[in-house]
Amino acid sequence: MEDDERGFRIALIADELVNPRDGGVDGLAVLERAGWGAVQLPSADYPDAVAGPLMEQVAEQAEEFARHGYVLVIVGRRDGLAEALAGYGIAALPAVEPESAEQLERFLATAGTAAHPSQA
Amino acid sequence: MQSATNRVAFVAHCLLNQNSKVRGGARCPGVYSPLVEVLREQGWQIQQMPCPELAFTGLHRFWAVREQLETTAYRQHCRRLAGAVAGAIEVHVRAGDDVVLVGLEGSPSMGVHVTSSDPGRGGRPEWPEGADELSPGSGIFIEELAAELAGRGVPMPRATGITHQLPDHDPAAERGAIVELTGGPRGG
Repeated sequence: MEDDERGFRIALIADELVNPRDGGVDGLAVLERAGWGAVQLPSADYPDAVAGPLMEQVAEQAEEFARHGYVLVIVGRRDGLAEALAGYGIAALPAVEPESAEQLERFLATAGTAAHPSQA
Repeated sequence: MQSATNRVAFVAHCLLNQNSKVRGGARCPGVYSPLVEVLREQGWQIQQMPCPELAFTGLHRFWAVREQLETTAYRQHCRRLAGAVAGAIEVHVRAGDDVVLVGLEGSPSMGVHVTSSDPGRGGRPEWPEGADELSPGSGIFIEELAAELAGRGVPMPRATGITHQLPDHDPAAERGAIVELTGGPRGG
């Protein structure tokens, strides 16, 4: 993939870590610095009828990445995610519920050492 | 979501995840910083839209123009995704939030003002070097999203597109367009 800068590492990340409230962990900023991509999980504030189809899309896209060997992790918690992933044949992924940016950085540094796909 | 009168930007999937791009298209490892930087500076929440091409034609897809994706099946796929996104936009609009949309100029799916078109493209993926497929107009997903919102009686958000895949990409101009769209800092 000449001239392509993708990192092959993707975090399925809870909305509250993408849009942190005051004092919350800014997970998106950590991913940005560490060179990970983000797949944002539906806000827990959305009604189920809204969140459900969005979660379905997350799982469908995660399956495409998983099938091609990209590193996938879960950052934060979202009810319904495990079931949605299981529906696409994705078993438990490495996960963290970070209490600080530093904790998330350490987790990503470890998780990101998984096999790097070639021509994924 | 946090409170009423939020500012919420719905952004193309690849702007938070460059791993979704067609091969050769990723401009950075993951998050496209220039957009996030402006949105954060101005107090906008971020909501990521799904990538219509990723789930339909996959990570090994070729670069494509609108004509190659203009099928009933792809329209139906985009309509399904647009329904999901429109539901979320509707929640925010009904709550009185300010909502904008940031797509990807030049994309056959996510273009806002510039898409790609070449009626002659097809078959073995070779075409004259420098062939220009860019053309005015929106991508297929954006069209379907507009239609879905109209059906719900929800106005299409103000929108612009990131220009980093256009040949005349100007980072300063791109930043200016985002700032113009998002209207400056809250209370400014």
